[in-house]
Amino acid sequence: MAAPLDRELEDLPPALRWREWMRRVEAVLFASAAPVAREDLARVVGQGVAVDLLVADLAAELEDRSYEVARVGAGFLLRTRPAYAPAIRAAAETGAPATGLSGQDIAVLAAIAYHQPISRDGLKDIFGKEIGRDLIGRLSERGLIATGPREPRRGAPYTFVTTDAFLAAFGLETLRDLPDPEALEDAGLTPPDGGSAA
Amino acid sequence: MQIPQVAPRADDPAPLPLPGWARPASADGAEEAAFRAGAALLALIQAAGAAGAGQGVPHPLWRDRLALAAAARGVAMSGRAEGEAALRDAVHLLRPGDHPGPAGAVFRLWSRAVARPLGPDALAPLLDPLPAALGADALRPGPGTPVARAARALAAALAHAPGAETQALILADATLSRAAGQDRLLPCLSLALTPRDLRLDEAALRASCHRALIAAAAQALPMAADLARRAARLRAVAPRLRAKAAARAVELFLSRDALPPAALTFMSDRAARRLCDRLVDLGALRELTGRDAFRLYGL
Repeated sequence: MAAPLDRELEDLPPALRWREWMRRVEAVLFASAAPVAREDLARVVGQGVAVDLLVADLAAELEDRSYEVARVGAGFLLRTRPAYAPAIRAAAETGAPATGLSGQDIAVLAAIAYHQPISRDGLKDIFGKEIGRDLIGRLSERGLIATGPREPRRGAPYTFVTTDAFLAAFGLETLRDLPDPEALEDAGLTPPDGGSAA
Repeated sequence: MQIPQVAPRADDPAPLPLPGWARPASADGAEEAAFRAGAALLALIQAAGAAGAGQGVPHPLWRDRLALAAAARGVAMSGRAEGEAALRDAVHLLRPGDHPGPAGAVFRLWSRAVARPLGPDALAPLLDPLPAALGADALRPGPGTPVARAARALAAALAHAPGAETQALILADATLSRAAGQDRLLPCLSLALTPRDLRLDEAALRASCHRALIAAAAQALPMAADLARRAARLRAVAPRLRAKAAARAVELFLSRDALPPAALTFMSDRAARRLCDRLVDLGALRELTGRDAFRLYGL
């Protein structure tokens, strides 16, 4: 078993200690694909150290880099700056979003995002067909959705809600940043009946 | 379902409605609104007091139900359709490990905000992503009227995180409550501020807060009076209940907006259901959902 992490770093002078904590925060964020909660970051630095200040210093240090610290929901994430999206796309030649989801998966995810909390029956009403457990499984495996409150009817079925990882994956800060459905309709991007059934 | 009317009695220790001179008039300018807001704040904190007019009010329940109203308003502000009933469901139909969803999360935050005494440890975790300094300022004595201080805190919070309206409003009402000498948060401004108000600069926001406080009193005081009467009724019938744990159940119902029978963990499931139904028959409790299953009870 590995030795417990030295959090306090008491043998370092204060300035170096702070730098080392910043690097640890950076390393943890770099290694994680999902947002990392502040409490989790607090576990790798000294007791009672203000994680927000470390993150702010890290963000300042990354100012001229192609990636940045983003605040997502209740956590933090390292991500490339939007300006480099064309370069990344050109290099990776990925036609589909990096989430590795199909169009149908994304459609169901969008329905959950707009209508949450929603059960599989609710999704069935929207799409006019049964939504398979494997599709739901794919979304929840990627941490994009989680189970929400039960529906108050026989069998107390699960509902689904989106997670902070969902916000992170689509570059949203809150659900409020979802495109306004009425605005999409006005722009002619969706049919007025909302029938986006794939 | 027939809901028994609880008639007011002369000796009710219920808060009084605002007198006519404290109510808003259509010709009110900023000065009149500020004056009436002062009267409204005094009436609200008297109703929240444990003596005098506020004596008969079940305070924890009142705050919890005001929290529900504030949450419902906040949820509507963020463009979501969930009403108070859906918010109750989102919180009460949650099982361990489940996520409350966006609307349920707002109600849960508000519920927590009113449940514990105002202190740095209780407030700080509720205000994320706002800077901790704003929360600390809310609890410190400072210059200015309670409303001016609340408006300043609200403006600062919104400038820092425009999307975090729920947290900003919790901060504003915490500031107002503490500046008015309260040791618990009473949702007030959040009952009446509009999305438009939240985009104003600090001076205009302060004027809106005065108006919001008057509107909040008009909503919260009748609610307190109604709950005081219902609480008196529940306390009056409690001795007639044979169930051993009835007194504990009564205290729970006097402290929460709504509860499923399963929340009475100190009784068997069946006994809890029977007790709730009996209290409904006695006109001391209401079933709030109108459903046959997954019922929620409250005053």
